[in-house]
Parts: sequence; C-alpha cells; structure tokens
Amino acid sequence: MSDHAVRDAQIAPSAVPSRTCFRLRLKTDFMLGVLSVAVMLAGWWLLSAAGVVRRDLLPTPPDVWAAAVEVVTRGYRGTTLWENINATLGRLLGGFLAATLTGVPLGLWMGSSRTTNAAINWIIQFMRPLPPLSYMILLILWFGTGDLSKGMLLFLTAFPIIVASSAAGVRCVKLQRIQAARTLGAMPAAVFRHVTLPSAAPMILTGLQIALAAAFSTVVSAELLAATNGLGWMVISASTFLRNDIIILCIIILGLLGVTLAGLLRALDKWAIHWRGRD
Amino acid sequence: MRTLPAWTITVLSVLLITAAWVGVTSGGLVRDLFLPGPLDVWSGLMELIDDGYKGRPLFLHVGMSLYRVGAGFVTGALVGTALGLGMGYMPKLNALAAPFIEFLRPLPQLAYLILLIIWLGIGETSKITMLFLAALPVSAIAARDGVANVPPERVRVAQALGASEWQIFRHVIFPSALPEILVGARLAAGIVYGTLIASEIIAGSSGIGWMVMDAGRFLRSDYVFVGIGMIGLAGIVIDQALLFIERRVVHWAGR
Amino acid sequence: MLNGFATRRAALLGAGATALTLPGHSRAATPATVNIGFFTETKPTMLAKGDGWFEAGTGGKLNWTEMGSGADINAAITAGSCDLGLSTGSAATAAGIAQGLPFKLIGMVDNIGPAEEMTVRTAAGIKTPADFKGKKVATPFGSTSHFRLLGFLKTNGLTQRDVTVLDMKAAAIVAAWSRGEIDAAYVWAPAKSKILADGGTVFPTYEALDKAGYVIADLIVVRDGFAEQYPDAVTGFIKAYGRALAMYLKDPNATADIVAKQAGVTPAVALSDMKEYDFVPLAEQATPAWLGGTPQDPGKFAHVLKGTADFLVEQRSIKSAPAVDAFQKATDTTYLKKALA
Repeated sequence: MSDHAVRDAQIAPSAVPSRTCFRLRLKTDFMLGVLSVAVMLAGWWLLSAAGVVRRDLLPTPPDVWAAAVEVVTRGYRGTTLWENINATLGRLLGGFLAATLTGVPLGLWMGSSRTTNAAINWIIQFMRPLPPLSYMILLILWFGTGDLSKGMLLFLTAFPIIVASSAAGVRCVKLQRIQAARTLGAMPAAVFRHVTLPSAAPMILTGLQIALAAAFSTVVSAELLAATNGLGWMVISASTFLRNDIIILCIIILGLLGVTLAGLLRALDKWAIHWRGRD
Repeated sequence: MRTLPAWTITVLSVLLITAAWVGVTSGGLVRDLFLPGPLDVWSGLMELIDDGYKGRPLFLHVGMSLYRVGAGFVTGALVGTALGLGMGYMPKLNALAAPFIEFLRPLPQLAYLILLIIWLGIGETSKITMLFLAALPVSAIAARDGVANVPPERVRVAQALGASEWQIFRHVIFPSALPEILVGARLAAGIVYGTLIASEIIAGSSGIGWMVMDAGRFLRSDYVFVGIGMIGLAGIVIDQALLFIERRVVHWAGR
Repeated sequence: MLNGFATRRAALLGAGATALTLPGHSRAATPATVNIGFFTETKPTMLAKGDGWFEAGTGGKLNWTEMGSGADINAAITAGSCDLGLSTGSAATAAGIAQGLPFKLIGMVDNIGPAEEMTVRTAAGIKTPADFKGKKVATPFGSTSHFRLLGFLKTNGLTQRDVTVLDMKAAAIVAAWSRGEIDAAYVWAPAKSKILADGGTVFPTYEALDKAGYVIADLIVVRDGFAEQYPDAVTGFIKAYGRALAMYLKDPNATADIVAKQAGVTPAVALSDMKEYDFVPLAEQATPAWLGGTPQDPGKFAHVLKGTADFLVEQRSIKSAPAVDAFQKATDTTYLKKALA
C-alpha cells in the first residue's frame, strides 16, 4: 500500500477503498475485540478470586454463571427469568409502539403544517428535556401502581423524541425536490408519499433509535422504583438480599438486550433506508 | 384565507391549555392532590423559596443536582472525547475499546447504579461515577465518528504543506471533528441530566429529583409540580447553553 | 346425537357459571381479586398471610404488593390499585385522613413501643442526644420511624442542619450499615435486628417520645369503594387477623416459626421482635381507649392521629390538618365489632 493510503487508513479508517485490506482489517478488529473482552474477564476473575476485592462485593465470573444457572433452573423468588425479561420487554415495546404509532403521524403533520406546529411544538419542546421519572409519581397517582402507569411513562418518554424528529425530517426535505415533483404534475398526496416521506425517513428512524434507547433506560428505572417483576425489579430485589451475583447477571442481560435492540433497529434502518447518506 | 402568524397561534395554544388547567382545578373537577391549580403551585413555590424543603434551602437542592450533573458530565465528556479521538486515530484502539463502549452505551444506567452504591457507598461518588459512565460512550462515539468523517483531502493538503502529525491534528482533524464532538457533548449532557434526576429519585437524600419524590410521598402535588417545573426549566437551560456554545465555537459548521 | 346433547349441557353449565360470576349477582358479595399492600415484617400478620387465612377470610384471590412505606399505601389506595393496607403506619394514615383520602381506619395491628427504635453504631460513641451532632442517621422517610426521629430531634433541640438525616429504605439501611457509612438508623424489624447484630446498640428514645405524645401504631385501612362493595370480605379480613393474634397469644413459638419463614429471619429473632410490639386485642381496639369513640367525643387514638397530623403540618409534609372529629369520622369500628360477634 502506498504511503498515503496507509496514512489515510490510520486517520480515516472508513475512507480506505481496498476491499482485501478491509476484510483483513475487519478480522483483526474482531480478534482484538475478543482479546480485549477476554482480558477484562480475566482481570475481573483475578481481582475477585485473589481477594483483592472481597468476593461478596465482586463475585467471580463463574459465580455469575452459577447464578445464571440457578435463576434459569430454579427461578428467582418465585419468578422465572423468562417471565422477568418478558415483563420488561413487554412494557418497553408496548409504550414504544404506542408512541411510534401516534408520534410519527403527529410529527409528520407538525412538519407539514405551520399552524399545527405553532400550536403544539411548545408542548413537545417542554417535554423533551424533562426526565420522565420526575413525573412518575404523578402518573402513579393518576393511573395506579400497575403496568398502565409504567406504559404511560414509556409512552411519554418516547413520544416527544419521535414527534420532534419526524417533524424535523419533514422540514428538512429539500424544497427543490418538492417543487420538482410538483412541476411534474404530482398531486399533494403523491408528493407526500414519494418525496416527503422518503426524504424524512432517515431522520424519523434516527429518532426512533434514540427514543428506544431512552425508553429502555426508563423502563428499568421505573421497575427499580415500583414493580413486582421485570429485570429492574430483579436488580433491586437482589440488592435487598445482598445477591451481587444476580445483580451482575441482570446487568449483563440488560446490556445484551440493549445491544440487540439497538442492533435490530440499526439493521432495520439499513434495510429500509438504503438511500441514507446519498443526498 | 388569512392565516394567523405562528407566534399568535402558539400564544393562543398556551392560553387555551392554561385556561383548561385553571378551569379543571378551580371547578373542583379534580382534587388538588391529583392536579394542583396554578395558584397552588405558585404558593408552593413561594413557600419553598422562603422556608426551603425539609430543613435545606431550595437553592441547595438545586445546587446539589447541578453539581452532580456538572461533575459527571465534564469528567465523562472529557475522558470520552479523548478516548474517542484516540479511537478514531488508531483503529487498533478502536477495536480494543469498541466492545466496551458499544456495551455501555445502551445499558440502562440506573441498573448499575445499584451496584455502584454497593461498591462505592451512598455518597456522591457512586452517583457521579454512574454519570461519568453515562456520558463516556456517547462522547467517545461522537469523537470517533468526528475523526473518521474528516475529509481525507484536507489531511493530504496539510501533509503536502509539510505539517507535522501534531499540527495536522491540531489544525485539521480536531477542528473538523469539533462539530460532531459538540453535538455528542450536548447529547451526553441530556443523558446525564435525565439519569441524575432518576438516580435522585431512586436512591437519593437531597437534590431536586429527590425533592419531587419525597413531596410526592405525602401527595404534596404543589411541591411536586414546582419541582417538575424546575427540573424541566433546568434541562432546557442546560441544553440551550450548550447549543449556544456549539454555535459560537463551531460557527463554521455546515459549510 | 349424544355429542350434541353433551355440548348443549356444557354450554348451559358454562352459561350458568358465567352468570354466577357476573358482578351484581351477589349471593354473597365476594371480590374476585383483592389488592393488599403489605410489609414484610415479623408480626402475626405474616402468619395469617402465610397460612392463607386472609385469603379464606376475604374469599377472593389476593394480590400481595410489598410497599416501602405507609405513604405508598396512601398513594395506591388513592389511585385505586390497593384495597386493603396492612400494617400501614399511623403517620401516613394521619396524613391521609387530613388530606381526605378515600379510606377508613378499621383496625390496629399493633401499638409500636420499643419495636421501632434508634440504633446507633457502637463504635460511633453516641451516648447523649447532643452526640448526634454531625452524625448521619438513616430512616425511611414518611414512615412512623421517621416521625419518631423527627420528634426526637425536636424534643432535644436538634435541627436537620446539626444531624444529617438520610432517606433510605430499610434494606438499603442494612447494606449501608454493613459498609460503615451511617452512624445511626431509626427503623423497624427485621432491619433493626440485622443492624443490631452488626455492631449496633439500642439508643432508647421511645419512652420519652411516647410521653411527649409521639405515639405510633401500625394500622389496617380499607379503601372506601372496596368496603362499600364487599363489607363481608373486610370483616373476614379482620377476623383472620384476630385469629392470627389469638394464635400468637396462645402459642408464640409456633407463630414465630411461620412468621420467621415469611420474613426471612430465624424463629428466635422473630420471637424477640414480636415481643417488642404491643398487640392490642380486637375487643380492646373497639373501645374509646383506642379506635372507639364518636365524632362528638373522639377516642384516644383520634387524638393521637390529630397530634400526628399537626406535627406533619409543622414539617410541611402536608398542607393542613382538620379538627380531631374528622379523624374519628374516618375511623370505622363496625368491622371490628362484626368480627368479634
């Protein structure tokens, strides 16, 4: 490889054109990643087993694995692991889907209509920076301690983000495109469907990804505060029984869930919006 | 058909909602526990300013929350940005650090707060460490992407002009990456703020988030509303302040 | 042919069963599900829970939701998601009545004497109230312990600037104590027993506080809507508790065994914990010495609640407190009397 290409690869890896180099680099990267995680696991194991950190404060990786086996086979305090994962995911997806189904249309409307935007945008802009857990207590009072208040909480977490990004997506549609379509004789509905929507789609999907991440964080917080099942509940319950191994297990599960959900949305994004970046 | 200017519509909308609020609460349709009226909220605010909350002045609670946000955000954003710059510069570092960054980013922060409290105690350290870890991945990824998106021609031009590695970094790469770094910082600040309030609600004894939770205990909805209002306001202020800085510092963004 | 007949019979049976479960068809109005807010505690209540007496008494399926404090029960009742509050603290009940929340006080679990008490770290060297200055004391806010702690501070001239009061749930207190992060805690069993066993000493406050009027008790409350619909279930609930109480008085050791299992402690600890409570028998509860009385001539406990509410107003926890007759009005001893009949 020429000198410049090497320099480029070092500074802006994504700009490297060579495909063979790319594949080789991918493999090396993967191996390095695996190595990195392995070193971390080994370090963790060592710290705990050698007693540098008390074992009851930091269980060893095998301890956490044993806890996983225990929870899968014998359940946790009368609940199965599947039950808890289901509960958390159910709440998350319920609130998120409700927010998406109502938020995207509203955002599209707000982006297209100055009147609607002027009437509603101030509410959305006030809701956005407001941490959802801060009004949880009101929701509990209004909707009870069950899943309805949690569902409302997740809905209110995701809704403003989705509305704002959908509206922004519509607003960012290049005017020339709309005008071009109109000069070709397209009706407003067709303009919307074939120009506005596809142009706005990248931003809408970005908003969905951000909203999902926020909702995921919120569902766990809500379960930490007031729940009788779910992964967040498991964490807080395990802490009262000083079961740090179960806490670590739940954190790992939550992390994997988060990565999976984010990855799924990213894949959806790539598949559905193959035109992203080709402006 | 004449349409009203946008700001008029907004004002009308605000007035409408306020009127509805006043109507519902003073008409006795809803108990003041569920929804306090504007006057209740105002008197609550006055009381809090005069007498503080549970033995501590209001500004102390607000100050504690802001201090925690500041400490967590600044440390997390600085370390994260530095790490991200390194990751963008050295693909090997990126490969080594990426698993942890990508795992940490979607991980609900409050879940590991419980663990941090067990390890680091109930004081400020556990919360600020959590906030540090909340800001880190977002800043790192933003910085890394910022470096990765530097147009290679700029670098080549600098090299052609005989610039040293450090000069290239300082005058080409860093400024080119700066817009993305600052956007990442703003995002991180938002996450840190939301996480802080949640942590005060779940495991706190002071701060504005805790105050909302504690006032809600005995259904002092007027204090709760004051608290929520202040939390929202502070969030907007922080976001706008960072936006202002962003626009001033990277005035060339988008060109 | 035979198939058709069987199907029709099944359909009729099904229809009949459905008709019986329809609301309003009250041969004996029993609720389908009952939402109970409770606390994991070392008391005969856990016996009635563990042995299913509460379930049998109400006739419905019980949803047990563990609460953090009486205030949580207040909020849940107001939101309609809790029907019966078991062992809710008198501080929260006083606040709830003052705010006109939709519940009635129908019984007492116990009068809390030394059962909730200040525990100090032996190594912290706290011998007098003044020694608390600069120390960290933890308690679950909104609870009867919190109420007593505030009373302790007030009667000893200490402010929350002198003493750092931390808001922590019972389980968090145990954990923080084991890490040596707090100097004292005002809490109830089983947390209290755990921290006592972990380098703690009792710092007696309750006698002085009781005399100063800071009486606290654990109570049974019922949501108004539920009581109107299912009065028999409520009576059955009280009866079940009375039965558990009677068993404790007759055979404390057997009771302690069952309670210990529910609470996650040893039977010995459960027994010693229960000894610290003053379990007032149902018959005595209905007298003016406790819950009995009329709005014109309120009983002793109505006055206790009024005093509690006034203190809470002083603390700005609630906005205002009504006159003492309101507290008596919010008390309903009919279920006690029916349970005794």
